[in-house]
Order: sequence, then C-alpha cells, then structure tokens
Amino acid sequence: MPCREHRLLRLRVKGLAQDNGLKTMTFQALAQIVVSGLLMGLIYALIAAGLSLIFGLMDVVNFAHGEFLMMAMYAMFGLVLALAVDPVLLMPIVAGLMFALGAIVYLGVVRHAMRAKVNAGMVQVFATFGLAIVLRGLAQLFFTPDFRSIPNTWLGGKTLNLGGIFLPWPQLFGGAVSIAAFVGLYLLISRTDFGRALAATREDAGAVALVGIDRNKVFTIGWGLGAGLVGLAGSVMAIFFYIHPDVGGPFALTAYVTVALGGFGSIFGALAAGVIIGLIEAITATILPTEMKSLGIYAAYLAVVFVRPRGLFGNI
Amino acid sequence: MTKSIHPTLNRRTLLGAGAIALASSVTPALAQQKEVLIGAIFPLSGASAQVGVDAKHALETAADIINGNYNFDLPAGKGGGLAGLGGAKVKLVFADHQADPQKGRAEAERLITQDKVAAIVGSFHSAVAATISATTERYQVPYFSADNSSPSLNRRGLKYFFRAAAHDEMFTVAMFDFLDTMRKRGEKVNSVGLFHEDTIFGTDSSNAQRDTAQARGYNLAVDIKYRANSPSLTAEVQQLSSANPDVLMPSSYTTDGILLVKTMSELGYKPKAIVAQAAGFAEKSLFDAVGDKLDGLISRASFSLDLAQKRPVIGKVNEMFKARSGKDLNDNTSRQLMALLILADAIDRAKSVEGPAIREALAKTDIPGEKTIMPWTKVAFGEDGQNMNANPVLLQYLGGKFVTIFPESAAIAKPKWPMN
Amino acid sequence: MSTQSIGIAAGLAQANDRFHAARRRQLMTLVVVVLVISVLPLLVKDVYLQNIMVLTLMYTALSQSWNILGGYCGQISLGHAIYFGIGAYTSTLLFTKFGVSPWFGMAAGGGIAALVALVLGYPFFRLKGHYFTIATIVVAEAALVLFLSWPYAGGALGIQLPAAADNWANLQFGRNKLPFIYTALALATITWLVTWKIEDSRWGYWWRAVKDNPEAAESLGVVIFNSKMAAAALSAFFVAVGGSFYAQFVAYIDPDSVLNFHFSLLFALPAVLGGIGTLWGPALGAIILIPLTEFTRSYAGGSGQGIDLIIYGALIMLIALWKPEGLIGFFVRQPKPLPASADEGAHS
Repeated sequence: MPCREHRLLRLRVKGLAQDNGLKTMTFQALAQIVVSGLLMGLIYALIAAGLSLIFGLMDVVNFAHGEFLMMAMYAMFGLVLALAVDPVLLMPIVAGLMFALGAIVYLGVVRHAMRAKVNAGMVQVFATFGLAIVLRGLAQLFFTPDFRSIPNTWLGGKTLNLGGIFLPWPQLFGGAVSIAAFVGLYLLISRTDFGRALAATREDAGAVALVGIDRNKVFTIGWGLGAGLVGLAGSVMAIFFYIHPDVGGPFALTAYVTVALGGFGSIFGALAAGVIIGLIEAITATILPTEMKSLGIYAAYLAVVFVRPRGLFGNI
Repeated sequence: MTKSIHPTLNRRTLLGAGAIALASSVTPALAQQKEVLIGAIFPLSGASAQVGVDAKHALETAADIINGNYNFDLPAGKGGGLAGLGGAKVKLVFADHQADPQKGRAEAERLITQDKVAAIVGSFHSAVAATISATTERYQVPYFSADNSSPSLNRRGLKYFFRAAAHDEMFTVAMFDFLDTMRKRGEKVNSVGLFHEDTIFGTDSSNAQRDTAQARGYNLAVDIKYRANSPSLTAEVQQLSSANPDVLMPSSYTTDGILLVKTMSELGYKPKAIVAQAAGFAEKSLFDAVGDKLDGLISRASFSLDLAQKRPVIGKVNEMFKARSGKDLNDNTSRQLMALLILADAIDRAKSVEGPAIREALAKTDIPGEKTIMPWTKVAFGEDGQNMNANPVLLQYLGGKFVTIFPESAAIAKPKWPMN
Repeated sequence: MSTQSIGIAAGLAQANDRFHAARRRQLMTLVVVVLVISVLPLLVKDVYLQNIMVLTLMYTALSQSWNILGGYCGQISLGHAIYFGIGAYTSTLLFTKFGVSPWFGMAAGGGIAALVALVLGYPFFRLKGHYFTIATIVVAEAALVLFLSWPYAGGALGIQLPAAADNWANLQFGRNKLPFIYTALALATITWLVTWKIEDSRWGYWWRAVKDNPEAAESLGVVIFNSKMAAAALSAFFVAVGGSFYAQFVAYIDPDSVLNFHFSLLFALPAVLGGIGTLWGPALGAIILIPLTEFTRSYAGGSGQGIDLIIYGALIMLIALWKPEGLIGFFVRQPKPLPASADEGAHS
C-alpha cells in the first residue's frame, strides 16, 4: 500500500515490453489479451450453458451449479486414474455420468421443491444450496481435500505459439468444445421433436400436458442435458485446472452473471455473454489493478441490465 | 463429546466429571489414564481444508511421540506421556474454524469451557488466530501459534500468545539475505517482481518484501496483487512476463500456485528465478501437479529434510508422519508438529494443566536447536511471545526434491542460478 | 376494489376484526417469547451455548430485516452482505479512528446503509426477478473487492477492535455474553415490532399487493416505487445495525468475515426455512438453522472428512423440501392463502 503512486504509474506502461520495439510488442500484448480473454470467455460460456438451459426451461436457478462442475472434474480425475485413458476420450463418459446426476437431482430434489406454493423460487434456491453443501462434503469424504490435477495428458501444458501469441491447447480445445456444444444445443432445440417439446414446455407447462407431452419427462431430460453440458465443461477444465471440493465457487458466480447478462432463456445469449465477460475481464485486468478485474464484469452486467432489463438477448 | 479427566481437580471439573474423578482417586491404576487435553483449531472444511487435515496428521504424530515410549532427543520425546504429570497422556481435541474468525473464537471458547483444554494450538489463518488469541488471553489459556505467519499477531501485547516459528518479516529478511549473497557472487539480481494474493497473508508478505526490497536497493519491476482462487491468472502472468523481473517472488497458496505455474508455462514465460514465500510452494499437491516446470524453484522454509543427515531423529519423525499422511513433512506440518512438542514440554515442566502455570513454563522455555526437528538455533520466547531464533532456510527444488541452499551453514548444495 | 369491498362489506368487517384479534395475539406471543428468552441465559450458563444464543438472536434480527424487503416486498436480495459490511465497518472505523461510541456508530452505519440502499434501489427496482437478485449479488461482491483494497479500512488485514473498558458504552464485555444476548434480543424484538407495525400499515398492503400481483400493482405506479425504496432503506438500516453489533461481538473484522456472499445467504435462509414473508418465519428458521450450523461443525467437523457438511446440507435440503412454505406451517393452522374474498377484503 505505501507504493500506490508507483503502482499507478506502472499501470500505464503495463503490457509494454521493456527491451523490444514498442509498437510490435504492444500489438502482440494486445492480441494476447484479446485471444486469452476470448478463450476464457468460451469456457465461461460452456460452464454457463447448462445453467442457461435449465433456467430457460423451468425458471429454476441451480445453486449447486459450481458443485456440478466440481463433480464433473472429480469424475474425470477418477476415470483417468482408473482407466489410464486420456481425458479427451473420456469426455463422453463424464458427460453421460453427469446426465444421470442431473436427472437424479431433478427427480430427487428439484421436482419436490417445485411443489412449493409460496416462493417456489426461493425454495429451489435453498434446496439446491443444501445439495451444494452435501456434494462438497461428499467430495471431501471420498477424495480428501487434497488438491488434485491430472498429469501427462495429450493437451495439458502444450501451447501453440502463433508469432508470439500463445494459445494453450487445452483452452483451444475447450473453446472448440464450447462452440460445438452450443451448435449442438441449437440444433437440438430447433430441429428435433424433443427440442420442440422443450420449447413448448417452457412456454406453458400446463398446456403441454393436454397435447400429451409428459412435463416431468421433459424436465428430467432437461436437467440431464444441463448437467451433461457441465460435464463437458468439467472435462475440459480438469485438463488445465486443479481439482478440489471448493473449486466450483468462483466459476458458479461468473456463470450466474453470464446467464443473466446474456438474458434468461436465451442459449445464444449465454454464448455471447460468456465471450463478452472473458474479454472484459482480460481488458479490465490491464486497466485496473489486477485484483479488481471482476469489477469490469460486474459493471458490464449492471450497465447492460439498466439499459436492457432483460439482458442482451433475454425473453423472460 | 469427551469430558476431560484431569490430574488436578478444580471446581469445574469436580462438578463436570465428579464420578470419573472419584474413580481415578480410588483406583491408583487409573492414574496412568490421566489425560491432558489440548485443543487444535484448524480449517477442516472449505478451501483450506487440505492444510487442516494435514495439520491433524502432524499433531497426531506429535501426540504419538509424546505418548508413546520413544527415546527421541526432542522436547517431550522421551518416555511415555508427560513425566511431570505422572505419565499423563496428551489428548487432542480438534475443531474446525472454516476460515471464519467468529467460528474460530466460538470453538476456542467451547474447547476452553466445555473440554477444559490446557492450551490451544492453531490455526493457519492469521485472521482467525487474531480472535482465538484474544479469547485465550481472556481465559488465561496459552495459544500456541503453530503456523500463522502474520507479524502483527505478536505485537498486540498478549501474554498468552506464543509462536516458535518465524513470521513473514523474518522469512523475508532471510530471502533478501540470500539475494544479497547472490549479488555479491556477481549474479545479476537487480529487480524483483511481487506476486501476492489479496488476503492477510499476501498483504503481510508483500508489505515486508516491498519494504525490504526498497531498503536494500532492489528495483520493484512489477507488483501484482490478485484475487485469491481466481478462475484465471492469464492477465496477471502477461504483466509478469512483460516486466520480466530478475527474481519473481510469489506469495500464493496451492490453488493459485498451481494455476500460476501452469499459466506461465502456457504463455511461454520462463521466470529467471523464483524465490517463493513457501505456502503453496511447499505443498506436495503443487509439485505433483506442476513440479516438472519448477526445477530450480527456491522457497523459504521453516524445515528441511536434509537436516536428517545431521540429526537422524528427523528422519524417524518424518517416517512416522509419512505413515499417517502419505506425505513428507513440509513447511507447515513440521511447524505444527514442533508446536505440540514444545507445548507438551512446557506442560511437563509446569507440572500443571492450569493456564498461568503453563504460560510461566512456556516463557522460560530454552530448547537448543539440536533438540528440535527444525533448523532453528534455539527456542526461547521474547516478551511478545515470539521466538526470534527461528532461523528460516532456503530450499531449492532440484531433480524432483528439495535441497537446502541457504544459509551456508545448513546448505548441502550450491544454488542453481538463474533458474531458467 | 371499492365495488368488491362494498359487495362483501359484512365479511370484510368480520375479517377485519379477526385480523386485529390475530395481531393482538401475535403481540402477546412476542411478550411471552421475549420473557422466556430473557430467563434462558440465566439458566444456561455454558458459554458455548450462550454464544449460539447470541448468533441465533442476531440472525433472527438480520433475517427479519431481510424479510421486510425480501419477504413482504418480494424483492429477493442476495447482496445484503453489503449493508452488514457497511454497518460493521462504519462503527469500527468511527471507534478506532475517532473514538466514537459504537452506539453512535451503529446509528451512523444504519443511516449510511439506508442511503446506499436508496441510491442502489433507484436503478435496481426497474429490474425484475433474477435480474434484480443477480444485480444485488454483483454489487455486494464489488464492495468486497473494494474493501480488500482500501488501506484506510485495513484492507485484507482487517481491523482488530482495541480492547477498551468492559462496559455498555463501549459495548465490550470481556468473557460475559449476557449483555450481547440482551442486545441481540432487543434488536430482534425491535425488528419484529417494526415488521408487525408494517403488516398493518398502508405500506404493508402495498407490498403484499406488489408481491402477489405486480401487474395490477403497477396501477399504483409511483406510490409502489416509493414504498419499495422505503422497504429497501428500512431493511438495509437494520442489517447494518446488525453488522455493527457483529463487529463489537467478534471484535475483529476483515472484508471476508463481514462482506462475504455467504452472509447474504444466511440472512435469507432463516426466513425461507421458517416461512418467508411471515412475522415468525425468520425467528423460527434461525432457531433451527443456527444451532444446526454450530453443532454440526463443532461435533462432527473435527474429523476433517466433510461429514458435518453432509449433515448440514442434507438437513437444509430436507427442511426446504419437506415444508416448502416454511416451518411456520406447523404452527399456523390455516394454510397461508386464505379463501380469496376474506383475504383480499382484509388486505384492501
């Protein structure tokens, strides 16, 4: 704290290298900031995708979302340990396991919370909040609170150097998975019978029963899909991030803001908002002291909802 | 809930455990079952749970050494139990503070008033230590700080606060002493870069480093404070990379430490040298995750396994700990283990489980360094409860393990400099 | 509404009588409860249990305050930690820097928090549902980040309350927990009385109207907006007073121990578990939740295996699912949504 002035002075020269030509390095540094922010943003979007889907379908905020992410990471960790196969190949299994977890959580917890006559929203929040604590406790019981990571993977620690701009392979892969997941989600919702049932249920859960759609079945699959998407996110994260029972927290908050910024009910909004948040975070960190980089995200959210109270692309 | 059985009966225990006390006074054979309860308050759940669970193993190992019939040349290391209290055994009562100062205080009160512990050991988080030690002061029960490193803790005029290990300022001085010798050897060590989390630990550590760097004429090339448990450190590492200081000095716990090293490698930044304020950089998990990228990393430490070559007892203690935890002793666990031994020794000498008597015995502590598992010259507490003879060492991670490189008297290898 | 009222004039008068009789009964219950709680700490001398009493009463007051905005007004804020932090920091800074009595600090903290609530409320009340909730979370998180980097307020190092003479003026009492119990009880009683008063006021009617039917309430327009602002200010004021109390009680604050998101949840949780938007819900919730939190941690948390978390989380989940309308459902014989005519009659 005594060197505040020094700090402020330094801020202006951040991102400029000292010895090389200033112009090229500035461009490179800038490009690196943008690219890193973009890749991180795609991963934020991927984490938020499941939350967005569940929310859009049934107006439920899943407070255990961060813990779902944590479970997916541990699932990947455990599978790699047991099968000695690379995480990239195990992704479908993790997504499948998470689909099952999501369906079970809907049938076992959320379905009952939805019966509440008063303040169903808050009941769901706290039922899933309780669930989140249980999941953290279970992770600590079965895996101990040690910090884990998966060593020696195909992608882990490898970086693509594009003329001085560094693109880590795990994040590149994560970005690709993220885009693929959103494309898949779009096709599912717009091109399949299930997608139409999903949309119809979202519009009017009561009326769909009349046309023979089993609301409960749609919700169960919806939760499964949402959790399965978190499974993909967790699989990617497990390659380049550490794993422990509390790992989900910081990501969950970003995911909530991402979904709200994009607009509740809009899958595309989550993608756009994820990327925007990644970029804003990276840019804020170069303008403000780095410990305040989240302020940029918060300010962006407030600025958007004050102008557009339903987020960027929301319809709810 | 366990009720303690005390060798000395006071009114509270008489009321609380009358029947048992009666039994023990009637049957002499039961005298051997006397127990001295010691409270241990650590983070046993939440983001720092790993430290707490390791601390539990370390303290249980120490209790084994005290209670078992060993012949270690360590405080309370000989014979079974505490001779001064007729062979009474030390029993630990663990409590979880979840990194919350309020909860730490509530647990301290519970352990003191319900379990009637003779003393409390803790607590990893300095913020929690602040409230626990204020409480123990009010109840006149010693608080033995095992691994809190904030220098402010011993500056509050508390009479029942004791810390055998070094605090951040002492550690920082050792780190810069080392940098000075590297300078004298003709290495280019002009600028340092600070990288610290926005917590009490990161703030204390970086304040000491900033002041010392300025006082000794090092240029502060970059000074980055980051949000602990960040989802990403990319922007931070870019700034480190473009400033490229001669020495990078991180003050980070395991989570951010792992992420820092991974991100540096992803962004192609190879720091010239790293001199870490231990914490995450003393944890096995970190080296399991990213050890291959850290050959040549230097960290300050309270402990060095190398010392086992000179003092075989360290090797034996380490084996005992490893049998419990599957890990070697490190910076934190060694301090926790040693704390209980020193505390038990004081209770043994006090021949009492009353707080003031233990305090007196602690204040008179004078244990030569050779009788510890640490590289310290001795254990003797100042007026403020701080042991100023807790000399830190610097370790370098070379070929997959840590070797001592500083000070010369303890060094078993020449430092590899620069790292990259 | 008037035509409706005329149509059921007789029923309305009857319902009105019943309503006021019920309110008198509530007040009597309060007197009994307060008397019982006042005697309790004289019988239970265990410091650990007394500590739990302080926390339970404190969270009762905090949750009751949250309930004014979240329960009665239907504006779910999960960012009330910002007001808690403002209260804690205001009284502590005034005391450590200027030697101002914590009682004055408490009032000042409450005032500042109410002002902040008004400033934030102006743009925030245009937001609906989850957009509003996330905006409150975001602002509280921003405050946490800013306080961590504010050297004057101690930054991450926090502020230790210097030991002063143990007396009521300094609100410090050494080992003695009794004064804290009675202060917390007073705070809980005051927030209860404020809520009780509001239930029967014009504001109370408007807020229920807003909650039950936002579209219809829009006809009330500006009036509703102003009453929401008032609810936010009132709620923030009492949460900040609770924050000052907490700072005095723990005697140490840092950003993470007063501004953390989990406090925001802890203010809402008792109200939700006990019965959101009800007079006794927050107290009921806190009486279950806080001892549960403390006991599971103290007696199951020492293992380091996360068992305390599993028990604690599972119980929260079970209560939420078992009694979705809140534990108050056990005590109130009539289900909350009364037969339409009588209910609306009493409220309009």
